[in-house]
Amino acid sequence: MATRPIGSGAEAELERIREGVPHGRFPAHVFNDQEIFDVEQERVFAKAWCFLAHESEIPNRGDYVTRYIANNNLIVARAESGEIHASLNMCRHRGNMMCKSEMGNASHFRCSYHGWVYKNSGELVGVPYMKEGYEGRLDKRDWGLIKVRTETYAGLVFGTLDPNAPPLDEYLGGFQFYLDLYLKQGSSGSEVHGPPDHWVTETDWKIAAENFSGDGYHTPVAHQFGFNLGYFASSGSTHSQGWAASIPGRGHGIGLGHTPGFPPFAGFPEELADEMRRSLSPEQVEVFSQTRTAVGTVFPNLSFLMQPFSIVPGEAGVRFVTMRLYHPIGPGRTEMYSWCLVPKDASEEYKREAYRAYTLAFAQAGTFEQDDLENWARVTRSAGSNMARDVEFPYVMGMDSVPDPDFPGPGHVVKPYVNDSNFRNLWSRWSDYMTGRE
Amino acid sequence: MSEAVPTPQAENPDDGEVLHYPRDGGNEGPIVIANEFVDVVVRKVETRNGMRLEIYSPRRNACVRFDAVALDCLSYQEPEFITSLLARNPGP
Repeated sequence: MATRPIGSGAEAELERIREGVPHGRFPAHVFNDQEIFDVEQERVFAKAWCFLAHESEIPNRGDYVTRYIANNNLIVARAESGEIHASLNMCRHRGNMMCKSEMGNASHFRCSYHGWVYKNSGELVGVPYMKEGYEGRLDKRDWGLIKVRTETYAGLVFGTLDPNAPPLDEYLGGFQFYLDLYLKQGSSGSEVHGPPDHWVTETDWKIAAENFSGDGYHTPVAHQFGFNLGYFASSGSTHSQGWAASIPGRGHGIGLGHTPGFPPFAGFPEELADEMRRSLSPEQVEVFSQTRTAVGTVFPNLSFLMQPFSIVPGEAGVRFVTMRLYHPIGPGRTEMYSWCLVPKDASEEYKREAYRAYTLAFAQAGTFEQDDLENWARVTRSAGSNMARDVEFPYVMGMDSVPDPDFPGPGHVVKPYVNDSNFRNLWSRWSDYMTGRE
Repeated sequence: MSEAVPTPQAENPDDGEVLHYPRDGGNEGPIVIANEFVDVVVRKVETRNGMRLEIYSPRRNACVRFDAVALDCLSYQEPEFITSLLARNPGP
């Protein structure tokens, strides 16, 4: 084994990783490595647009949730004005955590240490013993909660710690076309169905983000029970069919799995399918009417999946949408957040059924989720072993694929569905950030 | 179920009372309104000639009674009004 470069050698190593990606090579150790994790915190998560919350999680004035960007805990609140604000969850006086609950409703936050009071938009308003203690030396306007820049797309609230980051629209770079399948199911859009499932896993965020950027390759093997028992509308013989779409230079990617003969929008109630045909563009309708599974990742760590899943094996599948955030808490350790998204205008009956299909397949106890995490935890463990230090993985699948000229969606779109094209794009972008080229 | 709390200093209501409030928050007075920062007990208080709404803060041991005019006045205040009260007296 070669001696591992430490410190100053790390920059050169990151350059080598970046050069290897277009040639279909990516190292194993990055999936469980303290140094890589530390650099990611500074160069990826402190620079990228990171997902914070869905607007429907904080629908009313005073509603808030607490979320993370890198190791920073943030309060995402809807102020009394109706605007959404994100602030560092830290009292400016001595640094205590303001909101200890993960969700709640408050017009003002009061620190439990010395009692400083802030509006839910972040301004400091109340300081105990102001006159007696501070004698006019404290200007409250200077000591509001630390603000985080936010922007939204179709209900998704993103934040960035980088004042120089491009606008969110530019960052998404056309991936909105594909996101609309999850977020615009009907004219009123989507909403979360309950709070997120939230748990800690012994896996690296990158393994999950890669898998959800379109790994159709693992499904017939890792999730074979779904095929064999009749939960899932695909078969081993046709599962390679479909497209891999990615936004070059942005890192976002989506796999679109196709089952021959599968009726357009099957698994959605008919009235909802009609609604979607009206609310999506003709190009989107053309793409999504051929799609059984849509599984995609917004760089770096926000993923979505839509597919039909049978609640009773052999019966017609019910379409559901899950949104998940893979929050890194250490090398090879991830805090998972998993939501079920439903169309706001859908019937209560369909929302319940979609949620059942979602919980059967995903969230902590979901069958597909357990299949994945069992594998991912072992990948993570292997990646952290000494002998894996110099091992590279092949990312050469679909290297020679030519973009599909008839495909109406944006980005680099290739066939078949089983393809490393999205992953090369994802790790190229990651390498850009890791080497300061974002 | 009820649970004893310290006797309020502001006013000491007759039996029945602020000293007893439902642990589940309750729906038919007294009710508890709480978030992670504070909890208050709200109930209707009948006086000889009318009605008031009592707001009692067990942790602070403070109590106030608002009549309909006061409550009506609150109903059209801006959120900033409460902010200004907190600015003036955030309480230790």
